[in-house]
Amino acid sequence: MTRYKRQDPEMSRRRFINMAMGTTAAVGGVSLLSVLGAANPVFRLTRDKMPPLKGDILVHASNNKEGQPILLSELNEQLVRAWPMGKNENGENVIRKGDPNNLVALYRFPRGQIIQPTNLEVTIDGEVVAYSDICTHAGCTVADSDTRAGAMKCPCHSGEYDPKRAAIVVGGPPPRKLAQLPIAQQGQNIVVTGFFLTNPYGYSTEEEWESFTKEVEEQLA
Amino acid sequence: MNQWLDERLHISRLNDKFLRKAFPVHHSFFLGEITLFSLIILILTGILLALSYEPSNSLVVNSFDPGTTDAPNLIPAAYHSALKINAQPFGDMLRRIHHWTANIMVAASVLHMMRIYFTGAFKKPREINWWIGMLLLIFTALTAVTGYVLPYDNYAYNTLQVIYGIAGSIPWVGEWVAQAAFAGKFPGDGIIPRVYGYHIMLLPGILLALTGAHMLLMIKQKHTQPQYAKRVAYKKIVGVPLMGQQTPIMLLLTFAFAGIIVLFSAFIPVHPVEYFGPPSTTPINNIKPDWYLLWVFGVLAIIPSFEFHLLGGVIGSEFMGAIVVPTLAILAMFAVPMLDRSKENLYYAENPTNYPVRLGAGVAFMALLVVWSVAGYKPELISAGILTTANANTVLWIASFLVPALSYFAVQAIVRGIRSLRESDARDRANFQAADD
Ligand code: FES
Repeated sequence: MTRYKRQDPEMSRRRFINMAMGTTAAVGGVSLLSVLGAANPVFRLTRDKMPPLKGDILVHASNNKEGQPILLSELNEQLVRAWPMGKNENGENVIRKGDPNNLVALYRFPRGQIIQPTNLEVTIDGEVVAYSDICTHAGCTVADSDTRAGAMKCPCHSGEYDPKRAAIVVGGPPPRKLAQLPIAQQGQNIVVTGFFLTNPYGYSTEEEWESFTKEVEEQLA
Repeated sequence: MNQWLDERLHISRLNDKFLRKAFPVHHSFFLGEITLFSLIILILTGILLALSYEPSNSLVVNSFDPGTTDAPNLIPAAYHSALKINAQPFGDMLRRIHHWTANIMVAASVLHMMRIYFTGAFKKPREINWWIGMLLLIFTALTAVTGYVLPYDNYAYNTLQVIYGIAGSIPWVGEWVAQAAFAGKFPGDGIIPRVYGYHIMLLPGILLALTGAHMLLMIKQKHTQPQYAKRVAYKKIVGVPLMGQQTPIMLLLTFAFAGIIVLFSAFIPVHPVEYFGPPSTTPINNIKPDWYLLWVFGVLAIIPSFEFHLLGGVIGSEFMGAIVVPTLAILAMFAVPMLDRSKENLYYAENPTNYPVRLGAGVAFMALLVVWSVAGYKPELISAGILTTANANTVLWIASFLVPALSYFAVQAIVRGIRSLRESDARDRANFQAADD
């Protein structure tokens, strides 16, 4: 063993290879990242993907009656699923089912049963109420409860909501209530009078939802 | 010809090194082989299925029930092709074999890992292979889940929605991750082609590479020797060579195994796509994942509802239940070899009762997963009146702590019992011999 390490002015072979490998790995890594960008396609907000909008008519979503306007007389304490139907650029009807999260749940309860914190102003006569039908937990479609009439239950992880009280969470893992959709009666039809009052599934904060609705409005204007 | 080949390929060296590899004789050592055979059957049936499958979720007219020209009956092409496969001769059978083999592959690998864990075969020098094995388990489950989605019936659609939701629940980056993984907002136009790519190219490729590494390491490091080998010939490798003896055993096992699977598939139908129908707005009652993911589902079902905001990100029960808890469980399993600090290379498989803490911990861990899987049946337990909506979570949470703890102590008691029996046996034998002299 020598006491002094030889100071080689030039780079050692090992060091060179290590650096070369490091550089290659870095370049490779960065270029892989650019591929990841391409994995995520651009989202185009077409009319069929827009959320329920002011002026939309609620139509049946069930397979056999899809597209038929929902009549008030068809509603009761059992959930009826609806799609919003609006107009496209050419003024033709378009069912907004391009985004499955647009599904709406409709209930009709005897007057007086729907109570606070539901916004009664935007129900029909305090009897008919509309909510987003998509569970705020993981996005399953919420159904009627199989054990209690007039309650809602998500079949995925048994989240429970109370449709008479603003669809607040009464059981299970969902983090938020279902968003209420303002509606009104117009002739025979049920029409939407605005955006969901709170953030529906897919928008984890009120701000996100607000900026999305702004985007929709801008695109329509 | 032998010589010709040998001069070029050095077959004789291969023969010495690999083909004469000694296989320990014990039935528990077949579990890994069964996993491997399953993978092979899956690839073969998968190729056949891929020939008739159309990976697209664009809508086509249902040729079995076209509807009218004004209102054609449109269904996703992938779903349509699943219907077509079912209509082919043996098409349904092929699907069943593929499905059952996938289940058996997961089951066999879980049992295989249990064997490794309880006999200490993960110890030095085999830690790396334990980790590769863990990766294999994870990727097997991922492959199975992506395969679930391909028929694109209502069930698959709902499953996919939940998976998308889970991916989207990661704080800060969730939405981006979910969209990048599933080709845009759910359900994007490219979602089935994307998942198809994962299921037939990416994930099987990973599985094959990992399997190759797993087996190379196993050949290099040799199997752990079963206990009897110690008595037969101490510190020598005991077993039957691959060529000549193990191969016929393997072939027998393959045929018996394939036969059982076909028998299974002939009588037990799987996932009736016709019954669930094409994706629709009607939710499926009591939708559940396969048994090996039921525990994650159970955690999601009993986790309380919460959501808090942190630096602009949202951390919710979904993220906790479906990502954090399973990650912790998986990390605990990854950490297993690191808990052992022996410097020596392990040579002989250990008797589980000589390691009561390890045995107890393993049993407790599995008990926990069983409790959580039962929790996955929470809606059924409630409808059956065994639990009520009010007490279900409490009861199941208490069980999540109590049952593993009880099983741990039960194992300790049993081990102590076995030991005292063994000791009294030894004493008897000693007395007996003393009396003889
Ligand atoms: S998706 Fe509704 S409870 Fe999980």
